[in-house]
Amino acid sequence: MNFELKMPDLSTSGSPIKVIRWLVAVGESVERGQALLDVETDKATMEVEAFNPGILLKQIVQAGQEASAGDLLALLGTEAPSRQSSAEAVTDGRPEESKKYPREFLLSLHRRMLLIRQFEDRVKSLFLEGIMPGTIHQCQGQEATAVGVCAALESRDFITSTFRGHGHALAKGLTAQEMLDELFGASTGCCKGKGGSMHIGNFGKGMIPGIAIVAGGIPVATGMALAFKMQKTRQVVACFFGDGAVAEGAFHEAVNMAALWNAPVLLVCENNLYGASTRIDRVMKNTTVSDRAASYGFRGETVDGNDLLAVYEAARRAVEECRAGVGPVLLELLTYRLTGHSRRDPCHYQPKEERSTWSANDPIIRFTQQLVAAGEILQSELDEIREEVDHEIESAVETAKTAPLPELDDLLTDVYS
Amino acid sequence: MKRQSIAEALRDGIAEEMERDETVFCIGEDIAVPGGWGGAFTVTLGLEKKFPDRMINTPIAELGFFGVAVGAAMMGMKPIADVQYGDFLFLASDQIINNAAKMRYMSGGRCQVPLVMRAPVGATGRGSQHAQNMERYFTGVPGLKVVAVSNAYDAKGILKAAVRDNNPVLIFEHKLLYGSKGARTESGAVDATSEIPDLDYVVALDQAAVRRSGSEVTILSWLLMLHFSLEAAQHLAGERIEAEVIDVRSLAPFDYLTIGDSVKKTGRVVIVEEGPKTGGVNAELAAGIQERFGRHLKAPILRIASPDVPVPFSPILENAYRPSVSQIMQAVRALVADVKKGSGKNS
Repeated sequence: MNFELKMPDLSTSGSPIKVIRWLVAVGESVERGQALLDVETDKATMEVEAFNPGILLKQIVQAGQEASAGDLLALLGTEAPSRQSSAEAVTDGRPEESKKYPREFLLSLHRRMLLIRQFEDRVKSLFLEGIMPGTIHQCQGQEATAVGVCAALESRDFITSTFRGHGHALAKGLTAQEMLDELFGASTGCCKGKGGSMHIGNFGKGMIPGIAIVAGGIPVATGMALAFKMQKTRQVVACFFGDGAVAEGAFHEAVNMAALWNAPVLLVCENNLYGASTRIDRVMKNTTVSDRAASYGFRGETVDGNDLLAVYEAARRAVEECRAGVGPVLLELLTYRLTGHSRRDPCHYQPKEERSTWSANDPIIRFTQQLVAAGEILQSELDEIREEVDHEIESAVETAKTAPLPELDDLLTDVYS
Repeated sequence: MKRQSIAEALRDGIAEEMERDETVFCIGEDIAVPGGWGGAFTVTLGLEKKFPDRMINTPIAELGFFGVAVGAAMMGMKPIADVQYGDFLFLASDQIINNAAKMRYMSGGRCQVPLVMRAPVGATGRGSQHAQNMERYFTGVPGLKVVAVSNAYDAKGILKAAVRDNNPVLIFEHKLLYGSKGARTESGAVDATSEIPDLDYVVALDQAAVRRSGSEVTILSWLLMLHFSLEAAQHLAGERIEAEVIDVRSLAPFDYLTIGDSVKKTGRVVIVEEGPKTGGVNAELAAGIQERFGRHLKAPILRIASPDVPVPFSPILENAYRPSVSQIMQAVRALVADVKKGSGKNS
């Protein structure tokens, strides 16, 4: 398989970019992230990196020549098809897929998904017991989308989320403790008790407060990406939203601008088939969300969102493209909500057969089976992880129950800086 | 010193802030287009020559690009976002009200949104949808600072103060006060030029300004109505009625210190606002004055505003819609006479 290396959009003024020298000869192999050539804009000299590993097959723009953003610079070929196999090729229980990754990495992904599931289940029981205030929108069944995408990000990258943000937050590195404190309305919560479930976030950990207006976060994420581009920080923002957001004007306005500016934003549509109780085929003629990308001139891809490694690989490729200045990318992750839209929703609108099919397609079960089949993990180790996670959550719940509540004076603070 | 219009002073103010701080950038529609207008009222004309990378011309997508501005602001940039007409703020209002204004609070103070927004308002021969006075819709939004600029000196100083503030600040400007030139000249424009100092200066965002001293009545107004109020006060002086005219300027929060000092002195208040009377900024101002300085009032507060109708097109109707100098004079005369009569009865 060959890859095209295009000139990233390094000059915001649109002026041509000059190739100073090639750092790699034709026939040499390159690592992902390795500098391939030096270029010069009207502002600065910088390196262009490979965002796929491979062999340099052809230098199309020679030293001394100029190119514009998007122009083809070089062709790269893959050494071996293994890591670059498309997400669609990853099938269930194929143990060889997991063999490509360090064991510790795989276990950390599993642990993270389990943390989300156990967290959500525990929160649900606290809520139903009447101990936890407010309302909740949970993500049981959608753990692979959050964990797979966030595993492809660096800690300095950002995410934006929605009213259904617990999984994204845990995947980005917020602790169960700071989140449970927040859900209990405590001053020790990640938003000092002023955000709550729908506005979970921690700026220091790369997650702005959840934006609970459907599609409201998509323009914001585009703006964050624009800032990264203007500041030349090479950071990326992953913007989570649901299938319902795709009908909002904010989606269309924002993705058009993101495309126009090659903004480093990974647009992650968690398509769980339902916007609240309404199935997508009642509100969309074309139910393939990723098709929208083409009409705005950028790349979209539909991925099995319950296949953790497929999500991770797709996200990793998309993040590399964003970092290389050829974003945005729209990833449609097909998944399913195995719990209510909110509160005590009994999900009567989900057909039983559909529900049971997706229950069997549970991302945690699938990934566990994959790991066991690959011999990466023993059942006893899985049990151990489960115990650790349960203990972590239970201890956080106990602490959160008695966490200090805000002082009444706090009502009036944090409005203006 | 040089004499400048509001449009020129804003342009220089923006350029100086962009020069001073490389995180400052402009984002909006029809800006930075070679051969274009520099925004609807020439404010950003030519800035792209000096700052080609920091003039972001957007598609016609107010909801989208105001959200973009919010996101960029959260990541350490200082966007100056403008709409061509204030009426379009309705499209952007989800991002302004739900995100920009609330992000800091929702995050427990961990995020900030240092965003400047500029919006032209006022009835100017364009019918109902390019004419509304939008101040009323944004003055009751906690987290947002709202100001209105009535002369070129303030426009530049307030723009600079807004850029240097770490909160979202919405600046209202009046189409008849810009002093836009060439093809963008407005008929019925009012002179709002000022002598602009050569040195850097700012004008505080939270302060009203006493534009004319007087002892008998306090007239509170802003934007075009300030100019009408000053004209009315001048005529009234010929009738030996000394009106104090205050440019409210900071619409959220109100500067009750300056306003209060005046009310305590005069005991009579007329509030003049362009825009429908019901639910106007004047209502909040009247209630706030009553609560704080009610015992100093010698007469009920009077409000002069437009009737409760959309802005009409026909010039004769538009002139009738917009509060006039003579309406202001009549109100002041009635208030002063009524008080004189009333106090005579009491004594």
